[in-house]
Amino acid sequence: MSAGSIPKGSVVRDPGYPTESENYLTNSKGVLSWVFTLDHKRIGVMYLIGVTLAFGFAGLLALLIRLHLFQPEGAIFKGAEANNYYNQVFTLHGAVMVFLFIIPSVPAALGNFLVPVMLGAKDVAFPRLNLCSFYLWCVGAVFFIAALFSTGLDTGWTFYTPYSTTTDTSVIAATMGAFILGFSSIFTGLNFIVTINTMRPPGMTWFRMPLFLWATYSTSIIQVLATPVLGITLLLLIAERTMHIGIFDPEFNGDPVTYQHFFWFYSHPAVYIMILPAFGIISDLISVHSHKRIFGYRFIAYSSIAIALLGFLVWGHHMFTAGMSPLTTIVFSALTFTVSVPSAIKVFNWLATMYKGSISLTTPMCFAIAFIFLFTIGGLTGLHLGTLATDMHLHDTYFVVAHFHYVMVGGTLIAFLGGVFHWWPKMFGKMYSEFGGRLAALIIFIGFNLTFLPQFVLGSRGMPRRYATYDPEFAYLHQMSTYGALLLGVGLLVALVVLLTSLVKGKKAPANPWGGATLEWHCTSPPPFYNFERAPVVGDPYDFSNVEWDDENERYVSTEPERKLVPGETPEAVPAHAKDTH
Amino acid sequence: MNFTNAFSLLSDYAEPYAWFPQSASTFSETNDWLYNWITYTCLVFFIPIVFALVYFSVKYKKPKGTKAESNVAHNTILELTWSIGPSFFLVGMFILGARAYLDQRDVPDGANEINVQAFKWGWTMDYGSGVFHPELHILLDEPVKLSMRSTDVIHSLYVPAFRAKKDIVPGRYNYMWFKPTVANERVSDAELAAAVKETKDLGETWNYDKHQFTPDGYRFFDLYCTEYCGTNHSEMQTVVVVHETLKDLTDWISANSVRPDGTPPAEYGEKLYKNRGCAGCHSVDGSKRVGPSFGGLYGRDEEMTVGGSVKADENYLRESILYPKEKIVAGYQPVMPSYKGQLSDDDIYSIVEYLKTLSSGDAAK
Repeated sequence: MSAGSIPKGSVVRDPGYPTESENYLTNSKGVLSWVFTLDHKRIGVMYLIGVTLAFGFAGLLALLIRLHLFQPEGAIFKGAEANNYYNQVFTLHGAVMVFLFIIPSVPAALGNFLVPVMLGAKDVAFPRLNLCSFYLWCVGAVFFIAALFSTGLDTGWTFYTPYSTTTDTSVIAATMGAFILGFSSIFTGLNFIVTINTMRPPGMTWFRMPLFLWATYSTSIIQVLATPVLGITLLLLIAERTMHIGIFDPEFNGDPVTYQHFFWFYSHPAVYIMILPAFGIISDLISVHSHKRIFGYRFIAYSSIAIALLGFLVWGHHMFTAGMSPLTTIVFSALTFTVSVPSAIKVFNWLATMYKGSISLTTPMCFAIAFIFLFTIGGLTGLHLGTLATDMHLHDTYFVVAHFHYVMVGGTLIAFLGGVFHWWPKMFGKMYSEFGGRLAALIIFIGFNLTFLPQFVLGSRGMPRRYATYDPEFAYLHQMSTYGALLLGVGLLVALVVLLTSLVKGKKAPANPWGGATLEWHCTSPPPFYNFERAPVVGDPYDFSNVEWDDENERYVSTEPERKLVPGETPEAVPAHAKDTH
Repeated sequence: MNFTNAFSLLSDYAEPYAWFPQSASTFSETNDWLYNWITYTCLVFFIPIVFALVYFSVKYKKPKGTKAESNVAHNTILELTWSIGPSFFLVGMFILGARAYLDQRDVPDGANEINVQAFKWGWTMDYGSGVFHPELHILLDEPVKLSMRSTDVIHSLYVPAFRAKKDIVPGRYNYMWFKPTVANERVSDAELAAAVKETKDLGETWNYDKHQFTPDGYRFFDLYCTEYCGTNHSEMQTVVVVHETLKDLTDWISANSVRPDGTPPAEYGEKLYKNRGCAGCHSVDGSKRVGPSFGGLYGRDEEMTVGGSVKADENYLRESILYPKEKIVAGYQPVMPSYKGQLSDDDIYSIVEYLKTLSSGDAAK
C-alpha cells in the first residue's frame, strides 16, 4: 500500500547506515566511555534511562495511592501509622514525578539528544557542563531516596511552611535534593540558550529552526530565570528550620504566605518548563506525520515565548484562598486568563496543520492526537479554576488534581512518549512494532481518562485532595479511578516492552523512517558521534515537497532534481609555470 | 463496592447531585450557575475540536508517500480570529467570577460572628461566654462571619454545601462569611436513641458517616480541612448544622455551655476530651500518637526531654494543659497549643478527674 514514487531522474539523498566506528552507541566501548562521555547524545540516553527509572518508581507509588483509596477507610496501609504512610507516599510521588521526571524528561533527555542534531551542530556549547548537570541530577535523586529511607517525608511536594518547618521528617534532605536538581536544571537551560544563540550553522536563521527548538529555547529561559528563586526559597526554608531566622514561621514573626509566594514564583513557571517542550514535540510530530507544512509557524513560535513570559506573572492563582487582598486576587485572576490564549492558539494551529494533510496514523501520531484531546481538557478545566468564584469551591479538591494531571500526564507524559516513539529509531537505530506501539497508545489513552475523568466529578462534589481516608459517598468514583490507574499502568508497561524488545528484535531503522525534513533525519540512524561531518545545508524544516517514500527500501528519502553539471576541465598534470623550464 | 455502581454517574448525570453536593447557601446558586456556564462554553470549543481531530485523522489518512493536498503556511485573518475570538468568553468568565468573589469577601453588616480555632487535627468553635464545641451550629437565613485562627500550621475551612472555602494561616486572622439557605432536620428521638445506644455498646466514638446525624440528632453538612496539615489531615473533619429557629440554636448552645448540675466531673471530662480536640493527639488505650497516651498517665513518672522525670499528678496535668511547652515528655515534640483562657477551672478539674479513671487503681493513689 504505497503511493510513493521517486520522480525519474532525480537524485536521491540518503546517508545510509552508520558503520560501527561511526555509530555514537558503539564508537567507543566500556563503562568508562559512558561515565565520562561528553557526547550530548550519550548524555541524553543516560538521562532517558534515569528519568524512566524515576518515572517507574513514582508511578508505582501512584498505584499504591490509588489502591489505598479503593476503600474509604484505606485499603493498603493499616494500623496507627496508616495515614503517615499514605502521606509519605503521596509526597514522594509528587516530588519525584515533578523534580526527577517531568522537569528533566523532555528538555534533558530528548532535548540533549536532539538540540544539537536539529540545529546542525556537533555538540552543545558546554559539553562538560552538560555532563555535570546529569551527575547533579543523580546526586539530587540520591537525596530523595535518602529522604525516603531515613524518616520519610510528609510535607507534600510543595513543602508549605510552617508544616515543613515543624515536622520531624527529613525535610532538609529532600529540599537539598530539590536544590541540587535546580542547579542541574539551570545548567541544562544555560547550555541550550548558549548553543541555540551561538552555534547555529550558516543558513539556520531563527525562523528556520524547528519548533521543538523554539520550545526548548523558551523553556531554557524559564529554567535560568526562575530556578534560582526556588534555590533561594529552599535555602531560606532550611535556614528557618535550623536557625529560626523568622521569615516563614509565624512563631518567630515570619509569614507562611511569603513562602507560598516565593515557592510559586518558581513553581508556576515550572509548570511551563513541563509543558512547553511538549508543545514543541507535538508541533513537530503533527507536521511530520501529516506530511504537511506546520500551520502558522510564527504564531506557534511567538506563543511559546509569550507563555514563557506570561507564566511569570500568574503565580498568585495558587493562593486565591490564602488570604491575599481582594484586589491582588482579582489582578492575578485576570493575568491567569491571558495565559490561556497562547495555548489555545497552538491547539487550533495543530488542527489546521492536519487539515488537508496526508496523515499516517503511526504510533507517534496516535500519541500526538491523544495529546491534543487530553491537553484540551486540561487547558479548558483551568478556566474553572481561574474564575475566582468557582475556584473558591474547587481549590484543593480533586478537581485540581484531575486538572493538573490532564496537563502534566495527559500533556507532558503523552508528548514525551510520542517523542520517544518518534525519535526512537533515530536514537537506537531500531524500528519497533507499530501494532504494539499503537496498542500501548490506546490502552494509555483509555486508562488515563478512566483514572482522571471521575476525579473532576469527585472535586466538584467536594472531595478534598491529600486525604488518606474519605467519606463513603465518594467511594464509587474513587474505585473507578483506581481501575483506570491499573489500566494506565498496563498501557505504560506495554509501551516499555514494545520499545525494549525492539532493541533486540527490531528491524534496522533507515535514516528517515517518518519523512521528516528537519536536520536530524539527514544523518544516519543512529547518528555518527560527530553528528555532521561539515555544517549541513539548512533548508526549510517543514518543507516536505522533496521528501519521497522509497517503497523498495521502506524509507523516506530527500530528492533533488538531477543537475547537469558543466564538465570541468581536467587540470593538466604539469603546472604551466613548470613547463617553461624545459 | 460494586463495579457497576461505579458507573452510576452515567445514568444519573442529569440529576443535580451528580455534579455538586447539596446547594445550601446563597453562594452555591451563583457558583453552580457559573460552573455550568463555563463548562458549556468549554464544550462549545471542545466538541468541534474533537470532531475535527477525529474527522481529519480519518479523512486525510493517506498511504505513505502521498503528498499533502495543501501546504498553506498561514492565514493571518484566520489566526487572529481564533486568537482574539475566545478572549471575549475569557473576559466574561473573569468579570462574572470576580464579581461573585467580591460578594464572598464582602461581609454584610450585622453578621453573627463566630470565632474558629483550627489545630492539628480538629476544630473549636467559640460561641461566646465560654461555650466551645467542635461542631459549627448556625441559624437559617442569617449571615455568619467566621473569624479564624490557627495555633499550629495552615488549615483551610471548606463547606462543600456552601461552596465556601478559606485558608486559616497561623500568625494572622482570616475571615469568611456565608448565609445558609437550607436548615438541617432533626431525626426522630427513637432513631437517635438507637444510635446512641449502639455507639455506647460498641464503646466507640460517634460515627458521623455511619449515622449521618450528629450525637444531638441533627442532620448536617460536611466541613473539611482542605489544606494539607499533616498526619491526620483527612480526619480533620467536623460538621455544620443549620438550625431553623433561633430558639432551637440557643437551646443547643445552652445545653452545651457548662457542666450540667449533677453530671459527675469524670463523665463531663470525657466529653471535653472528645469535643475539645484532646482525642486528636492523645489516645486512651496506651497507643502512641502525636502526644503521650492518657491511658495510665495519671500518677506515672514521665521522662522529660531535658532529662529527669516528673510525676504526672494533678498539678503537672494542669500545667501541661495551660502551658504545654514547659515540660515535654521525652520522645515528643512541643506542638500542643495552650488552652489558657479556653478551659475553665471546672473544665480542667473535670478532665483531670477523667484521666484518673483511665489509670489503674495503684498508680492513682
